[in-house]
Amino acid sequence: MRFAIETWAPEYGAATDHELPETGATVDAEIERDLDGWAPIAPPSLDPPPERILFTDGVRRVDAQVWIEDGAASCPGICATFAAGAVLCDGRAEVVSAEVRRGLFTAAPQAEAIRCRHVSYPVRSAPSGDPDVLSLALQQRMGELEITLAAAHDAPLVIVDGPLRGRQSVPGAVGYIKTHHVSYLQGAQEQVVAALGPGQRTPVFLMMSSWSRFSWYLRLPGSIGHPWAGVVRCEASADHETSDVIALADAVAAALPRFSSKPHKDPRAPQNLYPIAGLERELRRRLGDAALLYRDLRVAAA
Amino acid sequence: MNEDQARLVGRVLGTVDSTPLEFWVALEPGRSLQLDDVVATVRRPPGGEPVSVYGIVSQVRARYEGARFDSDVFLIEDGVLPGEVCEAAQITTTRVEPEVFIPPLPGAAVMRAEGKDRDQALFFDGMDKRLPAGVSRSGEPVFLNLEFLDGTRGAHVNISGISGVATKTTYATFLLYSLFNSGVLGAEALNTKALIFNVKGEDLLFLDHPNIQLTGQDEDRYRSLGMPPGPFASAAFYAPPRTGDRNAAPDVSSRSRGVTSFFWTIEEFCHDELLPFLFADAEDDRQHYTMVVFNVAAQLRHATPIGEGGVNIEGEEVRTFRELVEVITSKVQEGNEWAGPAIGLGTINAFIRRLYGTIRPLERLIRGDIPDAPGHRVRLEKQVTVVDLHNLPDRAKRFVVGVVIRKTFEEKERSGRARPLLFLVLDELNKYAPKEGSSPIKEILLDVAERGRSLGIILVGAQQTASQVEDRIVGQSSIRVVGRLDSAEAERGQYGFLKGAVRDRATILKPGSMMVSQPEIPVPLLVEFPFPAWASRPSEAGANPAAMDEPEDPFEGLPSS
Repeated sequence: MRFAIETWAPEYGAATDHELPETGATVDAEIERDLDGWAPIAPPSLDPPPERILFTDGVRRVDAQVWIEDGAASCPGICATFAAGAVLCDGRAEVVSAEVRRGLFTAAPQAEAIRCRHVSYPVRSAPSGDPDVLSLALQQRMGELEITLAAAHDAPLVIVDGPLRGRQSVPGAVGYIKTHHVSYLQGAQEQVVAALGPGQRTPVFLMMSSWSRFSWYLRLPGSIGHPWAGVVRCEASADHETSDVIALADAVAAALPRFSSKPHKDPRAPQNLYPIAGLERELRRRLGDAALLYRDLRVAAA
Repeated sequence: MNEDQARLVGRVLGTVDSTPLEFWVALEPGRSLQLDDVVATVRRPPGGEPVSVYGIVSQVRARYEGARFDSDVFLIEDGVLPGEVCEAAQITTTRVEPEVFIPPLPGAAVMRAEGKDRDQALFFDGMDKRLPAGVSRSGEPVFLNLEFLDGTRGAHVNISGISGVATKTTYATFLLYSLFNSGVLGAEALNTKALIFNVKGEDLLFLDHPNIQLTGQDEDRYRSLGMPPGPFASAAFYAPPRTGDRNAAPDVSSRSRGVTSFFWTIEEFCHDELLPFLFADAEDDRQHYTMVVFNVAAQLRHATPIGEGGVNIEGEEVRTFRELVEVITSKVQEGNEWAGPAIGLGTINAFIRRLYGTIRPLERLIRGDIPDAPGHRVRLEKQVTVVDLHNLPDRAKRFVVGVVIRKTFEEKERSGRARPLLFLVLDELNKYAPKEGSSPIKEILLDVAERGRSLGIILVGAQQTASQVEDRIVGQSSIRVVGRLDSAEAERGQYGFLKGAVRDRATILKPGSMMVSQPEIPVPLLVEFPFPAWASRPSEAGANPAAMDEPEDPFEGLPSS
């Protein structure tokens, strides 16, 4: 297989955010409280606080954009490294698993694995050569790896970085969304989010779009600079009983503030939780040196 | 687990440059290295024979990987942030065999060096004559190459360290014990002599007594070094006579037997030209009366002996030092014959003032009023001779040290043979051979330092601060030892052989630990020496049959009437 490496740096043209807002979601806000009863809920003082919390995360990096030659035509692809891992917080925070995979994501039918001096990129086919599609394929592979790792550990509470989509099957999994492109609540309910005090959460509501899940907002401790500062959204599987999901929401609200980061240590404070930030650094380290791999790929293409 | 795995301590890390002379090792979890541990690794260059790199741990560090801020430690301990402890050790290369200087490669396995490997690493394998110098932190023997001590390839030992904590004299004594008892000198050990000047307390007056506080564990340490624990088998002790005592009984308080008093007769003082040794202060060096001193010394040679150490000088009988001073005073004031030509009155008066100043400190050491004078001469008949100076004033200390060393030196020079060796142990070198100025004692010590190697006189010198001692004396010493150093002192150039962390460590060394540097090994080694097997104070002294013998004269010390 002949292939060429795009001479532009790999970051160019890579889609950066794939959590596309779902505007079409309908919300049932009367799961925990009726609409008139909506108010911030302080977490119950759980004694002891939840132990054995598993945090999972994945990272990905495009090592190079490649062109796979097919006669006169060329088909695009990306050589990427992705990793997933889990931190178990059980008195000590410990990276209990971390795995690194690589892949050549492409739609080219004649693609073969690229073997370089240090690593190799097996073919992972994508439905089309569109950059967003390739990127999404990478994202999916990473997510699958994350699920495998998360399922391997027995923890009553699993905090999954990002939306829960595709990971509902992990027992005890709670999706943890740091950014808000769209407000899913309206009017008075939205005001409740702004009125949350540190550590408080909104009542649980049900979101229905292409998939259904329970959700609630939670404000982490930190300075309240603007109405949504320090607010995260959590998601839990719609398969839960209502009472279970309320207990889960309470447990999360009781557990997470301890892990929230300080602004001088993390630019995404307080939402970027310490265990996840630590795991992410560890995973990025394990991806290998980008410059070295880029050089390897160019040597392999020559 | 095979033997190699058991000895594997870590791998050369690649985040810090690895060089042939220094490299870092990340430690395997559960393994540890401490400072001074000895390690080995192998590099197999393509097409060449394997190169063994040996080294000694010069620094160890531990850090949290995953922590970016100092306060992350609290998060990690709190179980919030993941972090791993990683330990690493810095290795300073001691030996590369064969001598192909290539760096060990990152990832290379690093083994703890034991047995033959350790001997290789520390060059013990090539030492034909190994002098036990103590044990390492891990309890293994550390050796000195005798060839760098006995004059074959080098000589002299210099020991620095803070008084009281550095245990300089004790270490010097231990080295002597090791020399005499480890068998390193072979048959020569019997005739090898040591002369020790005792400058502090009466510590060294019990060398011939076993130490009753020695534990079985201490005894084992001696045996592990290849020598039996015990006191010095053959020792003689000299102390100055008690002031005002007409029988010249030795001025010691803790030991009543087996100590001989020493002094010089007026006759010896005159004939051996000992006068210059009275003027051995740094301050004397700057005065004009040096000429007068030498003229008077020359005149004194003509004094006529009248028996029992007294002399007659131009008709005047002299039996005490005071009388001698008075005669000299009247002679130099009489005319130029004694003082020398063209000497001003001021200079003569300065000389007289100084001379009178020596009466009090030296009266008891220079005398002609004791019948058995030869019996009070310092003689090196036993294996170890201790000359006690501790209660003498400085001026008298200089006189004794200067005169005894000169005499010893002259005798050795006359004998014309380097063997058997003579070891000379002298603390407070800064007093006798200061960096600045010159004096008769400094000259004689320089002679020892520069020619002693061929004459078979080995100087074991000690001082608190090497920076205050004549560089040529410190510089001639092949073996350098430091006990605890003052931190400002440790920064000085005289301690250039202590590098980096070793230097910092010298400021926290405990009594009983010394850093020993010898020419063959590029890094100083930390040694601990065993608790003295001989007593250093009356309370430690066990019975000593030899010292219990009847004195030669049972009535010695009693009024003779």
